[in-house]
Amino acid sequence: MSKKSVRFKVVDLIYICMMILPAVIGIVLKILTTPKTEGISITGAQIYLSYPFPVQDLVITSAQVNSWLVMISITGLCLYLTHGLKTRDILKRQHFAEWIVEKVNGLVGQSMGEYFKGYAPFIAAIIGLSAFSSLITLIGLYPPTSDLNIVAGWAIITFVLITYYKMKCGPLYYIKSLTSPVLLTPLNVIGEIATPVSMAFRHYGNVLSGTVISVLVAAGLQGLSNIVFGNLPGFLGEFPFLQIGIPAVLSVYFDIFSGCLQAYIFAMLTMMYVSDGFPLEEYMKKKSLKRKSKNSAMEVN
Amino acid sequence: MQSLDVISVNLWQIIISLANLLILFLTVKKFLFKPVTNILNQREKEIEDRYEKAQEAVGEADESKKKWEDKLRGANDEAEAILSSATENAKYRGDKIIEEARERAESIVRQAENEAELEYRKANDKIKQDIVDVSGSLAEKMLGREINTDDHRALIDSFIEKIGDDNDGDK
Repeated sequence: MSKKSVRFKVVDLIYICMMILPAVIGIVLKILTTPKTEGISITGAQIYLSYPFPVQDLVITSAQVNSWLVMISITGLCLYLTHGLKTRDILKRQHFAEWIVEKVNGLVGQSMGEYFKGYAPFIAAIIGLSAFSSLITLIGLYPPTSDLNIVAGWAIITFVLITYYKMKCGPLYYIKSLTSPVLLTPLNVIGEIATPVSMAFRHYGNVLSGTVISVLVAAGLQGLSNIVFGNLPGFLGEFPFLQIGIPAVLSVYFDIFSGCLQAYIFAMLTMMYVSDGFPLEEYMKKKSLKRKSKNSAMEVN
Repeated sequence: MQSLDVISVNLWQIIISLANLLILFLTVKKFLFKPVTNILNQREKEIEDRYEKAQEAVGEADESKKKWEDKLRGANDEAEAILSSATENAKYRGDKIIEEARERAESIVRQAENEAELEYRKANDKIKQDIVDVSGSLAEKMLGREINTDDHRALIDSFIEKIGDDNDGDK
């Protein structure tokens, strides 16, 4: 393998900084802005800034900022992984980048079909953003995915995509599919709207519940530790021994496992809903009919 | 510092988050998927090229092998032809030499025979002459008179002829 040039190393360093600095910035921001609180409290994201805007105030919250930081990190990761791509003698990171791309392509091709192959970057973006947003709790930052607004935004994109593909055969076809048994029309409409809502609440609820349970368990352990070791003299009596280690087990489940799982579920549901909502055969039939009519029109001319 | 409620809906936040996802989608597409797909395609193309080249090389090798084999076979044939022609030549020349030798031998034999015949004739004639002479002188002595050889030539000759015939018969 050829030796890396200085320039290559410098660019690498910039990318690595791009990955790591957002985390550092997030931690610094958190330390600077966290209010001193007594006891336990479960609140939403902190509001950093608030501007008066029509309809509602525009607020910049820690969830928003953290999701930007995650985006910057992911961009840095992408740049780092694709830095120095070669066709031979490839670097380890290129193996990883190729692995990611091939896996996501495979996943999308498997669950959505060939027609939706262009969705791979979108699905990768959803999985990456969602997973890293949840995993950010590992360094003590507020996870953007436990803010309903963030996840709702993603769900709305999914909803728009689903509706777009359902409309592809024409609005009439869409309305017909909604009112196929006339009696069930209201249910169908509700079901249509429920899809994004359920997706948003599922993701948000899972991550938030993990946080809530973690906080509750930590507080409970503090209390328990006070009861058990309270009689020890001085500092030892106040130190919450039981808080060592035990919350970490929960964190493994709620932060790592649940975070990754929810990201995967969100992506899978997006793929399923979009590809299921699209009547591909009907669309192809229509398309071929249109082409035929076009051809015949051309022949007449 | 204020916090949002645990469950709060803010329209602008939703829109920002929506935009965030779209931006990240474009970013991932541009910075991860595009270059990796490009490099994969490039590699595939390169491998295909190399494969084609290898195939070509194999074809060329086969061709040259065939060519050389043909050449070798031609050389063998040529060598055989040369050998056979040489053999033929040698045989022809040997035959010719033998023929010549035989002819010469025959001619020598013939000459010798001729000579011998001649010599024999000569000797015969001489013997005859001698016999004639001897018998003439013998008869002269016996008869006591001279015999004119010329006169009795015919008689003697017929006599000698007889002897010669007898001799010839012995032969």
